[in-house]
Amino acid sequence: MRFSNVFLFEFNHFKRSRSKLITYLIFLFACIYSIYSGFDLQHKQFNTIDNIQLDQKKQVMQVSNFFLNLSIEPDAIDILGYIPTYGIKKPSPLFPLGIGQAEQYGYYKKITTWSSTYDNDMVEELANPERLVNGNIDFSFLVIFLLPILLIIFTYNIRGYEQDARFEKLIAIQCGSIRKWVFIRFLFYLLLLILTVIGFVIAVSIMNNAIIDYMGEISSLILLLSSYIVFFGLIFYLIILKSHGSSTIAFKMMSVWLLFCIIIPGSVHQIASMVYPVHYMTDYLDANRKETYEVFDLPNDSLYFKLLDVYPDLEQTQYAQNNSINQKFVRNAISAIVNDMNKRAISKIEDKNEEKNQFVRASYWFNPVSFIQNKWNSYISTDYYAYRDYRIEIQAILDKKLELLNFEAWNDKTVSKLTYETYLKDLKVSLD
Amino acid sequence: MKYLLINQWKGLFRNRLFMILFSVFTITLLLTTYLGIIQNETQIAAQQEAQEHIREQWDEMNHGNPHQSAHFGSYAFKPSTVLNSIDEGINSVTGNVIRLEGHRQNDVMFSEASQSLLVSKFGKLKPSLLLQFIIPLFLIFLSFSSYTQERDTGRLKLLIIQGASLKQVIFSKIISIWLIGLFLLLVTTLIQLVFNMNQLDVDTFLRLILLLLSYSIYYLVLINITILLSLLLRSSTAALSLTIVIWVLWVVFLPKMIGNTVEKIEPLPTRVAFQKQMDIDRSQGIDGHNPSDQRQEELLKKTLTQYGVDSIEELPVNFRGILMQADEEYGNSVWDKHFGSLYLQLQKQKNIYQLSGIINPFASLQSLSMGTAGTDMFHHLSFLSQAESYRRELIKELNYKWRDGNWDKAFFKSIKDFEYKLPNFLEFANKYLLDTLFLLLWSCMLLFLTKYSSEKTSIT
Repeated sequence: MRFSNVFLFEFNHFKRSRSKLITYLIFLFACIYSIYSGFDLQHKQFNTIDNIQLDQKKQVMQVSNFFLNLSIEPDAIDILGYIPTYGIKKPSPLFPLGIGQAEQYGYYKKITTWSSTYDNDMVEELANPERLVNGNIDFSFLVIFLLPILLIIFTYNIRGYEQDARFEKLIAIQCGSIRKWVFIRFLFYLLLLILTVIGFVIAVSIMNNAIIDYMGEISSLILLLSSYIVFFGLIFYLIILKSHGSSTIAFKMMSVWLLFCIIIPGSVHQIASMVYPVHYMTDYLDANRKETYEVFDLPNDSLYFKLLDVYPDLEQTQYAQNNSINQKFVRNAISAIVNDMNKRAISKIEDKNEEKNQFVRASYWFNPVSFIQNKWNSYISTDYYAYRDYRIEIQAILDKKLELLNFEAWNDKTVSKLTYETYLKDLKVSLD
Repeated sequence: MKYLLINQWKGLFRNRLFMILFSVFTITLLLTTYLGIIQNETQIAAQQEAQEHIREQWDEMNHGNPHQSAHFGSYAFKPSTVLNSIDEGINSVTGNVIRLEGHRQNDVMFSEASQSLLVSKFGKLKPSLLLQFIIPLFLIFLSFSSYTQERDTGRLKLLIIQGASLKQVIFSKIISIWLIGLFLLLVTTLIQLVFNMNQLDVDTFLRLILLLLSYSIYYLVLINITILLSLLLRSSTAALSLTIVIWVLWVVFLPKMIGNTVEKIEPLPTRVAFQKQMDIDRSQGIDGHNPSDQRQEELLKKTLTQYGVDSIEELPVNFRGILMQADEEYGNSVWDKHFGSLYLQLQKQKNIYQLSGIINPFASLQSLSMGTAGTDMFHHLSFLSQAESYRRELIKELNYKWRDGNWDKAFFKSIKDFEYKLPNFLEFANKYLLDTLFLLLWSCMLLFLTKYSSEKTSIT
């Protein structure tokens, strides 16, 4: 029998097998549902961001109009305080393909001079925690966890059925090589699933106009998911070759799925929690509370020297020549000092998190599912690092704001409309 | 029936693969339960250390006036329950610390899930993971092969010729496999009992028993449905495929899909909208017609009349303390309105989700498992509510001290730390009635269907 015939026979068998067809259709429905959910969450995030930016724009316009009626330029310290500053993480156009860790973090933050990247408003959106535990039906979940089960349902009785019905030898006589016969039949399902998921990836990319701008991420994603499907396919193919009977094959395949998708990641997770227990961030709590209050209690001259530690160049400013701190500038000086303390405490937290991440990454060689998940999330900018970068961006805006507040005030700067617009750019205020 | 049961057990214990898997599961359960306990203890120790550190700061700080201390505030740490080592429920996605301070009700911070890369979508390898995902699958395969093998090898006919009825054969299989599941559950429970003997009280014991009962009913449902499908469907392949599809639907697909749908039926506000609404109410008065300066003036007049004096200077107490407490109480009414409706919405969501137990017994099991372990949303909300009550009492005490004057270091030292009291399970029992009812309904319905089908099926 020609192998192309085996392939076609398998196609016909698939068409006629009601249980396989229904299972496949359920999977397609689940994919569509998951992508719809992804789009829905993406739109929700965009809407929230749009509302914030609209508010921001209104406030900026108010101040801009204020300049039109002025005869003398106002002090920088007064104007800078009125710039509505936000840190925003826009969802990637590929977001419907995987929500990843997006629901664990906030994606917008109002930045005030007292902000830090571990504030209360940096936590996730208001959500039902039990739903978060169960997670979302997102496309990445379907491909990483459900697709191998689909492959099991499609393939566990290839050869197993013939063995159960005791006509395997007949196949060997007709086809010559059982291995090749199994391979071609298996290949049909492998190709069907790979093409199906690639189709969805391309469809989402087209719908969100991401094909050209995100070509690198899309092709990496396609390569990643194809390799993942082939990885499971290879294991299942070997199981079929080495086992006897459909129920034994199904049992072994399910055991492999359990091992890779649940047991290994679960064990790594458990061990990681033992080695790196949830930290209560006492350094940060100290900086945020005790040390902040100590700074508030400092006399002005001590504040001045502490501020010089943060901004050594401040010594060159106009007011610094007096070797003391102007009462008007105390509050901003304190927030700059507190920000510096927070940054030091936060860097310790980030280092601890990084240690845990390194531990997780070290498990990738025997824990491929976690590797695939995190790689996938990184292409869609919904992994831990995407949100760490977002925190870094917030910190940079906050640093800039405090620097401007202190330097401009200490240099006794006044603000024209043009300077105001420069501030907006410096503080990344979007006016689009 | 007795002989059939013994025979079934003998058959199972003669099977090498079964013995290997049975031993692996027993050892894994022993190990995961033990590791879960160790991890829990590490967590409890870390939390105690953090709590002591915060207390030390409070005792050592230079308290200016009591209201300053109210701003300095305190922290409430969410403790790990003893049974957290079996099922950690929502604890990894919610934060574990709340800042308790004057003028505001904060949210929990620092969830474990946000502190690292994603590791496992199904959670840590705790006993709950084994009991909810892995052992059920083992029981499914055991149940499936125990009946189909008898049928396909013709042994079933032999048993019936010898005088056993199909119903007896079927139920002997159900009971024997269920007992295996029960044994594994008992192993987990015993380990918990042995290692947590010193922390065991009546409530924990009751929770543990209910947890065991919930899982045992769920296993009965699962074994029953597998054997029923093998009985009804002539093709073993179709029976196995359908059982796996049902398992995937129950365990993986439906919980996520129903969770998403519930959030659409009862949507929560975005954090920014929630905060904005609270800010508006906080600044304008809860009815929108009561600006704060007007309230302040009203309060001053009321206080002056109460003390029979004409000016603030003549007051025998510090008016700032009275004002701060009034402001606090006004703030509390705003938090009650907004956080109250948020918590109500969360509970509504949970109730709708619990209804899904009618099509998905796994949802009921999951809810009962987290509930009995004290790690579900109801317990989380109870923690939040206790922390908020503590905050209000703390701030009130500080504000009243500011009003009355005469504070010293001893006063600040006398302030007690927040202590979370895990609610007695019986107080919460009514919250899990639906889950219990659905699990029982499923098991009764399936037992009846199996009995009916085994009576109607003929072995030819």
